[in-house]
Amino acid sequence: MESSVKQIKNSKIPINKRRKPNLNITNIIFKGFLWIYATLSLYPIVWMFFYSFKNNDEIFVSNPFGPPTTLRFENYVSALTQYNVPKYFLNSVIVSLATVCLTIFLSTMFSYATARMRWKGQNFFRIFVSIGMFIPVQAILIPLAILVRDLNLSNKYLSLIIPYTAFNIAFSSMVLYGFLRSIPMELEEAACIDGAGIFTTFFKIILPNLKPAVATLAIFNFLQAWNEFPIALILITENSMKTLPLGLLFFQGQFTTDWGAMGAAMVIASLPTILFYIFFSNQVEKALTIGGAVKG
Amino acid sequence: MKTKKLISLLLIAALLVFSLAGCGSKTNEETAGTGENVTNADTKDEIITLKIYAQYSDDDTKIPYDYAVEELKKAYPNVRLELDIQAQDDGQKLQTYAATGNLPDIFQVGTSQIKAFKESGNILVLDDYAKSTGFDKKLHQSTQSLLWTEDGHAYAFPYAGNELVLMYYNKDLFEKHGVKVPETYDELKEAVVKFKEVGIVPLSIFAKEKWITTALYDVFATRLDAGGIKKLDEGKGSATEDAYVTAAEKLHELVNLGLLPSGATNMNYDQAASLFYEEKAAMFINGQWEIQASTEKLGDKVDWMFYPTFNENPDAKYAFSGGGAPGGYAVSPHSKHKDLAAEVAAFISEKYCEAKYLFRANPLLAIQLDPSLQPAEKFPPMMEKLANELPNITSTTAFAWGLTEPKYKVAIEDQSQFLLTPKYSPKEFITELDKALKNLKN
Amino acid sequence: MERFFSNKKAIAIFVLPTLILFTIIVFYPLIQIFIKSFYSWNGLSKGTFIGFKNYLRLFEDTTFKISIKNGLIFALFLTIYQIGLGTVLAFAASNVKTKGRNFFRIVYFLPVVLSVTVVCQLWLSVFNSEYGLLNKIFQIMGMDFMQDWLSDRNKAIYVLAFVNAWQYLGYQFALILAGIKSIPNHYYEAAQIDGASPLKAHLKITIPMLSETYRFCLVLAITGGLNAFTQMFIMTGGGPGTSSYTLTYMMYSSSFRAGEYGYGMAAASFLVLECLIATIVINRLVARERIVY
Repeated sequence: MESSVKQIKNSKIPINKRRKPNLNITNIIFKGFLWIYATLSLYPIVWMFFYSFKNNDEIFVSNPFGPPTTLRFENYVSALTQYNVPKYFLNSVIVSLATVCLTIFLSTMFSYATARMRWKGQNFFRIFVSIGMFIPVQAILIPLAILVRDLNLSNKYLSLIIPYTAFNIAFSSMVLYGFLRSIPMELEEAACIDGAGIFTTFFKIILPNLKPAVATLAIFNFLQAWNEFPIALILITENSMKTLPLGLLFFQGQFTTDWGAMGAAMVIASLPTILFYIFFSNQVEKALTIGGAVKG
Repeated sequence: MKTKKLISLLLIAALLVFSLAGCGSKTNEETAGTGENVTNADTKDEIITLKIYAQYSDDDTKIPYDYAVEELKKAYPNVRLELDIQAQDDGQKLQTYAATGNLPDIFQVGTSQIKAFKESGNILVLDDYAKSTGFDKKLHQSTQSLLWTEDGHAYAFPYAGNELVLMYYNKDLFEKHGVKVPETYDELKEAVVKFKEVGIVPLSIFAKEKWITTALYDVFATRLDAGGIKKLDEGKGSATEDAYVTAAEKLHELVNLGLLPSGATNMNYDQAASLFYEEKAAMFINGQWEIQASTEKLGDKVDWMFYPTFNENPDAKYAFSGGGAPGGYAVSPHSKHKDLAAEVAAFISEKYCEAKYLFRANPLLAIQLDPSLQPAEKFPPMMEKLANELPNITSTTAFAWGLTEPKYKVAIEDQSQFLLTPKYSPKEFITELDKALKNLKN
Repeated sequence: MERFFSNKKAIAIFVLPTLILFTIIVFYPLIQIFIKSFYSWNGLSKGTFIGFKNYLRLFEDTTFKISIKNGLIFALFLTIYQIGLGTVLAFAASNVKTKGRNFFRIVYFLPVVLSVTVVCQLWLSVFNSEYGLLNKIFQIMGMDFMQDWLSDRNKAIYVLAFVNAWQYLGYQFALILAGIKSIPNHYYEAAQIDGASPLKAHLKITIPMLSETYRFCLVLAITGGLNAFTQMFIMTGGGPGTSSYTLTYMMYSSSFRAGEYGYGMAAASFLVLECLIATIVINRLVARERIVY
């Protein structure tokens, strides 16, 4: 199948040939643009890495953009010692992974029901849940904190996992809804004729088709949970329950901030997200190629 | 098939994580339980842990805190402090603590928070403790009002004294370019023009911070009305009075002449200070706590000047901007050990003063210290000069964090920063400020 | 078939866990926002009911007008930048002929992965008027175009919108790319036979087929824009003055800086309504019918 895709696309060449001269110039400009934009997207990581070895003067005044003049490893030392890194790291991993799993589990079921099944109020409830996407988090912090206390969740992993999931469901359901609407109805019809029940159909036929979307959402939700700051700041009071973003507080003073050490902390905190992304992105890529084969 | 694997993998991961989460919460409950046991057996020998919410992120906050903890170990061997580091979040977290009934035993509060906490019963009245610990006796005459608030009660043990806004300048640069150190507004204007011509920034300011923009406006306002921004906070007078209008107009006039570095309202402390230290800026505005850093970087080139006076009111030389305000270490009324917490709060505040004096070259403190204490290093000349002038100061105002009306505080902070951009007009400034003040009265 | 799709028990099992969780954690606090918007309240004490006074005051507040305007600018900027550029980049990365397309696929998404604090600090350095990269480039090129990017009351909001658009372009890019890849190939085969150019094929096939994706992207860009907060919080503090306030920032400032929780909640309520209306309108405007291949 993959090769036939190539064949088809390759066979376009003769048509294009007729406009070749014109196309070449735009092509070169376009290619150039793609590479420039790629550089622009890649530079921040390099910059963050440089930054983590500098002091405040270099960061802001003498050398904001180039490589560091001296490698200040003490930034990493102070990031690692001031911060209970291993513990915070573990907390972040647990909270983020649990959020990803729970969010995907709930939102695939919910969006299947709203996108493909027929019941009264399906549109209403779909939009109802999408409200989660545009509630300013800062507005509900205090009510949320009271709620978490009343549910007896204070200073437990669930005190973060549950709010993160509840908020992420909105985004995930909207993405999944779009995907589910574009899968052909014949899938269920065939399953139905074969005598499969709805749950079998959902888990065996529909979910496999959602793989690219699910992998994409795994990335989105992971990033969301990993980098989340305002809710964690308000809800976590126990030092042993803190997540990585809260550790950045150690460097920010009222009048001065130790930006270099903060940069080092951010490098440490960013690595897992980059790895997680590259891994799942490759999954998406594979899934999409296979998914295309199923449909084509 | 692959999907099945993926799903089962995800499910297993989820289960694992949840069981982990479960474990985590369980162990937590257990520790919470043991914590309670300790409090029930409240004997002298048992170790008591007090939660404390405080700033702890740079030398100015870490050194006093660490010093206080060390001293506490000696004086109260059975007390442990559990530090919760304060976030730079405009008091959001503290407010949530109060709203959910989770206030730490001891916490730092600012002036405007005291009011809201008082109204909602979230702050302990410390009158008796101030007397029993002898804290009240140690106050200076001028710092009585930092402990005893307007309603006659004490809510927080202060440590910072009447700190001041200073205008620092580089003597060398003034000499080199033949500019007179300004004593009047016209001379200041001349200095701005001259420095601008030779490509030197006249006045560096970290105007990304809104308290310093408020302070700069206050410096101008106090040239005409010694009450400055504090008078408006107290509900006396109005923003449309001549003093406030003229101050805004004059400040904005200088801004248009190039008083500040370009992009000043987006400069942080490091950037603005570096302009001054590298002699790219002739003047710099900050609190008197800048004395130490500036002396380190510029040696005897740096000095502070009296704010230039205006023709309308030449006697304003000793009317200073800045000043102290109620605030410091407060205690939760819901604390299980509130008597002890109050004692400890007073103790810590006193030790903060000592640390600031001993290690931070800062003699502007809330309380008088034991004369036997001697700082590690001799005070810089600028501090000596300030100490000599202190008795002559006729009036002070307040820093932005010392204003009592939060609504007014936000308005003056936002508007004073706005005024430092060329495209804003003094008229807009006064209108918005006036609106905010009228809103307060409704 | 009908019975299959209207299986009540199945619907309940699919829908209820989400609805219960969402109602308790998100909707219940949301109701509190609306209720508190009718109170004069500092967030701690009892508070007094004052009817529509908070709302009446909103409409006279200059900051509120600035916030509304900035929200619209932000939303429009995000829509144009992210959906426009996201589409172009996704087309390129999906084209088998593009060399290094796997590299592009990963790199274009990377800014999303970084912490927003890092990204804001980077752009702060770039746009700094004294030490910034951008002004330096203009200087080197001999252009007299030095700008006070973030200290200008009219420009700051565009800079902030750009930073947000730039960082989160990856989301839209990834969604559109996934959408393109799931379009069956036989459509392109047909276009091939008709002799359409690749560009034409995209215009005639890809974009219409992506209407579900675009609807979602549009909701994401517009509500994201109206809701903008973090960039203001880190980069300008709403400044200079109040010129880069948005409704969320105004809510934050009123509730926590000014201690007027009730007033802040009125701004928040307005924001939620604004977003809800935008979502409903987008849902109506963009094609509703189910796509059948």
